[in-house]
Amino acid sequence: MRNLLVVILFALAGCAAPTAAITAGGSQVELRQMQTREYETLDKRGTLRSVVATLQDLGFVIDKADYDLATISATKLQKYAIRMTVTVRERDGDRLAVRANARFNEQPIEDPKSYQDFFATLDKAMFLTLHEVD
Amino acid sequence: MTRGCTYLAAVSALMLGACATLPEDAFRLSESALEMRETQSRTYEDVTDIQILSASSAVLQDLGYAIDEVEKELGVLSASKRADAKESAEIIGMIALDIADCLLTFFLGCENDAYESSKDVQDIKMTLVVLPDLSQNGVYRVRLTMQRVIWARNGTLYEQETISDAVVYQAFFDKLSKSVFLEKEGV
Repeated sequence: MRNLLVVILFALAGCAAPTAAITAGGSQVELRQMQTREYETLDKRGTLRSVVATLQDLGFVIDKADYDLATISATKLQKYAIRMTVTVRERDGDRLAVRANARFNEQPIEDPKSYQDFFATLDKAMFLTLHEVD
Repeated sequence: MTRGCTYLAAVSALMLGACATLPEDAFRLSESALEMRETQSRTYEDVTDIQILSASSAVLQDLGYAIDEVEKELGVLSASKRADAKESAEIIGMIALDIADCLLTFFLGCENDAYESSKDVQDIKMTLVVLPDLSQNGVYRVRLTMQRVIWARNGTLYEQETISDAVVYQAFFDKLSKSVFLEKEGV
């Protein structure tokens, strides 16, 4: 029992997930903002297809795709595993909001840089889809 | 290995797993992304997306895959299967290692842990996406991505990876092209 306690303390000390501690209790709004990007279009199909193409470019395999609910879930396996869900929603009747949230191994990704990178890649795919397809 | 050691090893593995950091380029296109896209894609003419999806599921069934997900509005089809991952060369090597371990420790370390950590089965998963080609009317582009998780005999994770070997993709598309032809001819 004492051994177990020592091991647990050791584990906690070695892996206290410092970034999560800093932002714990932070604004939910901030998280949503970093995970969301808006596009000036109402082309839901084109947007979802761009999301799928982007995920494939980034090495993801699609686990679930639902057009009606506008939700895509995908997994990337390297030495690590990233699981990602992307949803598309209409906003104010004139644009679409794409929200992405991802998990790295078992932890949620709350670093804005990762989402910026994802949306930068999606931007390119969106540009092609929205400008070259009739 | 004693029980205590095994326990410590398990906890260490857990800690490493929990503390591993996200690589910076995880959401950026890699330098080989364009090349990879070409390897993973083929175009088909004079055929509908439904015909391609039907031909694809026929090939996947031929290969023993189960279809997990189909969303024809988005042209997405996902499938998976569990397959053998044993390699006889590796098994022989690991058994030799165990025997050497046994001899070197004067028969104190006679366990088959090297053999037990060799590859056993693999779970393969793939997504196939059929979309209209943006630059050519009436042409569909099929993109395939595959990944697998390999398990060791003792049930632990051996390896997980995205499959990037061009030969594997080529072999699949050879079968798909035949299947699309058969689908078009209504065979």
